[in-house]
Amino acid sequence: MDRVQSLTQAYSQAPWRKQLQMMGLFLLVVVFAAIVAGIYLSVTARAAEIGRQIQSLQSKIEDVEQTNSDLMSQLAFITSAEQMRSRALSMGFRPIELAEPVFLPVPEYVERQPVILAPAPAPVVPSTPPLPAEYTESLFVWLQRQIDRSTFLFFEVQE
Amino acid sequence: MNSTAARGSDALHKDFAWRYMLMGAVMSVMPILIIFQMVRIQTNPAHVEYLRQQSSTYSGMVQTIIPPRGEIYDRWGHLLAGNKTVYEVGIELSQVRNPNTIALALSTLLGLDYNFVFTAASQEASENAVYAVVANNVSKEQIDQLAELKDKVEEAYMGRANDPSLRGVVWYPKLARSYPEKEMGSNLLGFVNREGKGFFGVEEQYNNLLAGNPKTLWKSFDPNQVELPPELPEGASLVLTIDRAIQAAMEDVIDRAIETHGAESGTIVVVDPRSGEIMAMATTPRIDLNEYERQLGRYADGTPFNRAISQAYETGSVFKVLTMAAALDSGTVRPETTFVDTGIFEIGGTYIYNWNGGAWGPQDMTGCMRHSLNVCMAWLATQMKAKTFYDYMQAFGIGHLTGVDMAGENPGRLKLPGDEDWYDADLGTNSFGQGVSATPLQMATAISAVANDGVMMTPHIVHSIVYKGYQYEIERRVSGRPISPQTARELTEMLAVSLEVESSDALVSGYRVAGKTGTGEIPTPFGYTSNQTNASFVGWGPVDDIRFVVYVWLEKPQSSIWGSEVAAPVFREAVEELVVLLNLPPDDVRAQLQGK
Repeated sequence: MDRVQSLTQAYSQAPWRKQLQMMGLFLLVVVFAAIVAGIYLSVTARAAEIGRQIQSLQSKIEDVEQTNSDLMSQLAFITSAEQMRSRALSMGFRPIELAEPVFLPVPEYVERQPVILAPAPAPVVPSTPPLPAEYTESLFVWLQRQIDRSTFLFFEVQE
Repeated sequence: MNSTAARGSDALHKDFAWRYMLMGAVMSVMPILIIFQMVRIQTNPAHVEYLRQQSSTYSGMVQTIIPPRGEIYDRWGHLLAGNKTVYEVGIELSQVRNPNTIALALSTLLGLDYNFVFTAASQEASENAVYAVVANNVSKEQIDQLAELKDKVEEAYMGRANDPSLRGVVWYPKLARSYPEKEMGSNLLGFVNREGKGFFGVEEQYNNLLAGNPKTLWKSFDPNQVELPPELPEGASLVLTIDRAIQAAMEDVIDRAIETHGAESGTIVVVDPRSGEIMAMATTPRIDLNEYERQLGRYADGTPFNRAISQAYETGSVFKVLTMAAALDSGTVRPETTFVDTGIFEIGGTYIYNWNGGAWGPQDMTGCMRHSLNVCMAWLATQMKAKTFYDYMQAFGIGHLTGVDMAGENPGRLKLPGDEDWYDADLGTNSFGQGVSATPLQMATAISAVANDGVMMTPHIVHSIVYKGYQYEIERRVSGRPISPQTARELTEMLAVSLEVESSDALVSGYRVAGKTGTGEIPTPFGYTSNQTNASFVGWGPVDDIRFVVYVWLEKPQSSIWGSEVAAPVFREAVEELVVLLNLPPDDVRAQLQGK
C-alpha cells in the first residue's frame, strides 16, 4: 500500500505545476476569447463605419437628385416663353410678320422632329436557340465539313 | 509538522467556507432573478407592448420613399412641369426655449400669422405632441435667411433660458411641383396638390404614371443593418404634342380678342387633322399653377377648368359643316344641287327662318353654306331623314366623348329620336346647330374628318411617354371614317370658295383656307337670347396640303353678336401666327419649292 502511495507520489505532478497548468489553460482561453472579441469588434466597427458611410452617401444622393431637379426647374424658369420673349424684345428683336420669312429649298432637309429624351424600346424578337448543324445537314455535307476542317487545320499547323 | 499544517489548512477552509457559500448563493440567486424577470416581462402583455414600442422607436423608423414625379415637356423638350426643392418648416416642441422669438421670426421671414406660430410653439411636448408643422412650400431663399438668423441668435444668446432663442425650429427639404411657364397651358396641364395628387388635365389623367409607385419600408438606425434602398423607378415623364410657341401665341391671340370684343371667355383649339395631335389649346380663365391654391377662385360659380374640353355649348352654324357633309356623303344632294330658299321652313309644327329672316331664292349647296341658310339645312335634314342625319352625327362623335387623354371631358348632348325630350322639330333645329351641344374639341375633331379626307383621328395631347429609360410613342388612332375622301374634298372646296366669294375676314393672305362661321343663340329658361351669342369659327388649311384645323369660340362678345365679325378675324390672326411658327411657306412658294 505504501509502495503504491510512494509510486503515485513519485509520478504525480507537484501542486504548483498543476496550478500553473490550470492558470495557463485559463489564460489560453482568456487570450483566445480576447482575440475573438477583438476581431469581432474590429469587424463590427468597420461594418458600422461603412454602414454610416452608406447612409451618408444615400443622403447625399437624395440631395444631389433634389438639387438636380431644382436646377432643371430654375433653368426652365429663366428660359420660359415669357422670359425669352421679354429678353428678345429688350435686345431689340421683334416678332416676325407673315410676309417676312424667306423660304429656300434645302436638299435633304429633314423636318424638325419631336424631342427624343430616351431611346425607343428595342423591338421584341422571340429568341430561338439555334439548332446545331448536325440536326439540319445531311451525312454527306457533314462528312465534307469534317474533311474541310481537318484540311484547314493541317495546313495551319504546317504553316 | 505535517499534522500541524493540515490542521491549519482545515481551519483556513472552515474560515472561508461561509464566504464561498455566500458567493455561491449570490451567484445562484442572480440568474434566478434574471430568469424570473425575463418570465415576468414576457408574460405581461402591457410590458411586452411597451418594450416593443420603445424598441421600434429607437431602432429605426418607417419611411415612405416617394419617387420624384415625372416631368412634362412640350413637343420640343421645353419643360412645362417639373420639380423643385421646397422646405417644410416645423417646430420640435421638446427643444423650444422661447415661443415668442420663434413666432416673431417666422411671421417676419415667412409671412406667417404670429398668433398661429406662437400657439403652435407654446404647446407642451408630450407623447401626442412632438412636432408641429407651421409652413409648407417654403423657398430656399427664405430658408437661407432663417438659417442665418437662427445662427446669429444662437451665437448671441447661447440658448440661455428666457433669452431669445430659435431652438426647436427645424426644416426639411422635399420636392414640389413647379410650372416654369406659370399661366401658359395651365388649363391643359392641371396641377398637383400638396399630397401629390393631380387634378384636371394631363396631371389628373396621367396621375398614376407620373407619380410612380411610392414604397414604405423600415429604415434601421443601426448602421450594421443598413440596407441599400430599393430601386424605385421615377414616375414616367410625358412629352406632349403641344408646341410651346404656338400655345403662347394662341393664348395671346385669344386674350387680345376677349379684350377687343368684350367677350366673357374665349377658346382656341389647334389640331393636326392628320394625326389628331393637339398643337395648342388656349382658353380662359388661366391661373399661375405655382399659385393654384390662391388662384383657384377664378373657377368659382361652375366655371370649367378647361372650357375646350369641359364646356359644351350650342355651336350654331359651324355645325352646318357636319350637316352638309352628311347630305353630300349620303348622296342626298350634290354640290350643284339647287335649293329654292323661300325664307321659311316648317318642321314638326315649328317654323325655321334664316339668320336675317330673309329669303335667298335659288341657291346651290355652296350658296347655302356661304349665306349660312338655316332653311336650307333644315330641308337637307328632312331630305336625309332623321335616321341618316343622326347616324352621321354620331359617326362624327357628337354626343360622345372624343377620347382625348385629358381629365374632365364633357360628351355634350345630342338628342336622338326616341329620347323623351326629342321632337320632330329637333331634326330641323339640330341641322344648323341649335338644340345640340358640343365642346370646342369635339367640333374640331369632327371637322378634322372633313380636313383629313374623311378620316377622323382620336385627339390626343401626349406624344410619348418616357419610362424606365425608354421612350414609348403613343400610337395614332383612327376614331372613325364618317365620310368618304371625295365628300371631304368637295366640302373643303365649297367652304374655301365660300370664304373667297364672301371676302371673309377669315382669309389669310397667301394661304388658301376653308372654313365656316357660327353664331349660336344661348338657351335660357325663357327661350333663346338674341342679344347674347356664342361666336365661333372653324377653319382649316392650306387647302392643297391641310396641316391644321383651328377652332375659335368667343362667349358672349359685346362688340358684335356675329361669328363672321368677331370670330373670323380671330381665326385669321391665329393662322397668321400659326403658319410662321409651323414654318409653313405660302401656297405659291410651296408650289414653287415642290416644283409644281
